[in-house]
Amino acid sequence: MSRTSIIALLIFGAILGYFLSFGADSTRKFQAGVYQLIAPFLSSGSGLQKQITSVRSGLKSLEDLERENTALRVENRELRATNQGLRDVEHEVNRLRHALNYRERSVFKLVPAVIVARDSSTWWHTVTINRGKEDGIESDMAVVTDEGLVGKTTTVGTNISLVLLVSDENCKVAASVEGTREQGIVSGERVTSGLTPFLNLKFLSKQADLKPGQKAYTSGVGGVFPSGLPIGVVKSFRVRELDGQAQLTPAVELSHLEDVFVVTGRK
Amino acid sequence: MIFFLILLALVFIAQIAEFFIPALPWLYNAHIYIVPLIVFYGAMALPFPLMLALALYAGILLDALTVQVVGARVEISLGWSILLYAVLAGIMHGLRPLFIRGRWEVHCVLSGICTSAIILAQYLMITFRRGSLFFSREVWWQIGGPGLIAMLMAPIIFWLLQWMGRITAYPYLPEGNRFE
Repeated sequence: MSRTSIIALLIFGAILGYFLSFGADSTRKFQAGVYQLIAPFLSSGSGLQKQITSVRSGLKSLEDLERENTALRVENRELRATNQGLRDVEHEVNRLRHALNYRERSVFKLVPAVIVARDSSTWWHTVTINRGKEDGIESDMAVVTDEGLVGKTTTVGTNISLVLLVSDENCKVAASVEGTREQGIVSGERVTSGLTPFLNLKFLSKQADLKPGQKAYTSGVGGVFPSGLPIGVVKSFRVRELDGQAQLTPAVELSHLEDVFVVTGRK
Repeated sequence: MIFFLILLALVFIAQIAEFFIPALPWLYNAHIYIVPLIVFYGAMALPFPLMLALALYAGILLDALTVQVVGARVEISLGWSILLYAVLAGIMHGLRPLFIRGRWEVHCVLSGICTSAIILAQYLMITFRRGSLFFSREVWWQIGGPGLIAMLMAPIIFWLLQWMGRITAYPYLPEGNRFE
């Protein structure tokens, strides 16, 4: 091995040792710094992705039109395409109006945020939002939509934050089940095979006997998540050796999220 | 040096692009990884010190963008991906003579295996933290799927990178006529 290679290896070892010595706080600061650095790229990428998706869906509807209405004239096709464009705008207006209504009627102080990126890794379920310290966001704040709980913030940069989704195994939420006195802890699954992840509600009593369709809400224990937020709906219940466990379908469709709210306090 | 800087830029772009590539539902939600392929190509084309620098850079990026800090706990410490990349890139670097002789297929297969090795290592590390080690069909596909995709993508990406090396007159690349 040449002298240059040995020196390179020593420098590499020193830098590696330096990074391995990082604690939680240093890691969080470093991560926030890197995310801050790439925030403009994520925002631009998110915009580009939306445009591509829009073009793709537009092409799809044209294909459908061609199949179903071969006899229609070109002028008619143009009118339909324009109509499709207007429907997209209408959908966007409705979505934003819906979000605005929720913000006004909610008992919480909510900061609206847009998801700019989804997790790129296999084992972690996170999303990146375009709000950060500048907007009053801190670590461990609940993230919701009008449908229910989405997750909580972890690393927070100046104007970008990471949200740990409720479908992640590391996101643990104290929950209660409607119509019962049952309380338990909800967490995600380590591995999901379909587009829709399921949640596990553990540490219930063996006699709980939950029925499909019953709703689970945050109980407020622990302080991170305010009480009363819908988490999911019971899909099945089984008795284990020491406790009862229910499988929940999340209240929020996590794979199609676009807008979320960060709970910064009560009104 | 220009080629090395190009590889650094490509690693950065690929890492950002991975955020926008959705998981494949028909392959048990397996993800597509491009960065490892660029790093492994770099391991074959670059001299040892630059290979280490590339592994360091890619590892820092991967860790910074995926590491999970929950409360006062870091799931996988910052630095583990650097070590993983360096070890795997070191193996690829050791097989460089084969690459120079034009035996691309070995490196294409090995790139896929090494990509899966990274995901397997991550899985083992989080399992060590969270407990309950299990290997279901979903787990195997989420580990093996990205490796298979990497194997399929490797010839195209390696060819593109070799072309970039040629137009920047990079001297460490294998001679062009040996491949043609």
